[in-house]
Amino acid sequence: MYRVALRLTANPADAEDLVQDAMLRAYRSWDRFTLGTNAKGWLLTILRNLFINEYRRRRRHPETVDLDTIEPFAVFEKVQEDPQGAFFDRIVDAEVLRAVDALPEVFREAVQLSDVEGLSYEEIAKVLDVPVGTVKSRLYRGRHMLQTKLYEYAVSMGYIKGRTT
Amino acid sequence: MNCRECVEHLYEYLDREMTPDLEREIRAHLAHCPPCGEHHDFEALFLKFLHARCTTQGAPPVLRRRILEQLFDE
Repeated sequence: MYRVALRLTANPADAEDLVQDAMLRAYRSWDRFTLGTNAKGWLLTILRNLFINEYRRRRRHPETVDLDTIEPFAVFEKVQEDPQGAFFDRIVDAEVLRAVDALPEVFREAVQLSDVEGLSYEEIAKVLDVPVGTVKSRLYRGRHMLQTKLYEYAVSMGYIKGRTT
Repeated sequence: MNCRECVEHLYEYLDREMTPDLEREIRAHLAHCPPCGEHHDFEALFLKFLHARCTTQGAPPVLRRRILEQLFDE
């Protein structure tokens, strides 16, 4: 929960407060949790709703991105010199987190819930309150955007040569 | 199943989020198409890398304590 809160609030103090508030809220509404469903998804839904309703109004403003103008390219086509993706290993953790943070919010949320927290498409759809098809397309584009950023970083650091096509 | 369709559904395949029929089709295509096989391996590596790099950060111990104390007070 802390990891998700940190990506949402973009600052450790707010993230800690958000997790604490969400845990308290979850504890108080425990009777509304359906046994047998994913508790992680349920907790993250509470966390996210709390963030949207309380925190975002006070702090970080929602981004306004024209989602259709972002065209991620397929990095795989560009890394023929390193098809095993060895360049990934040279990128430090902090740079990866920076790249995740730099994603537009809708893509960052999908990528984080799937690739970091390991939720299924259906669970993510529930947390974000969108159809499963939307989860799929956000993951597809978010992951490619992230690859693009990391690839460009690796080229700028000289980890790979890069291609100008 | 052609290469374009295969690449389009790669993530669903890697996430194990597809119907058994489609999964079989993709697996069959991957087995016979080296470029798509390489693409599959690259994306699989990327997802593994992403997960490993983003889960090193945990909540500070003091936060756990704060929350437990608060819940005990309830």
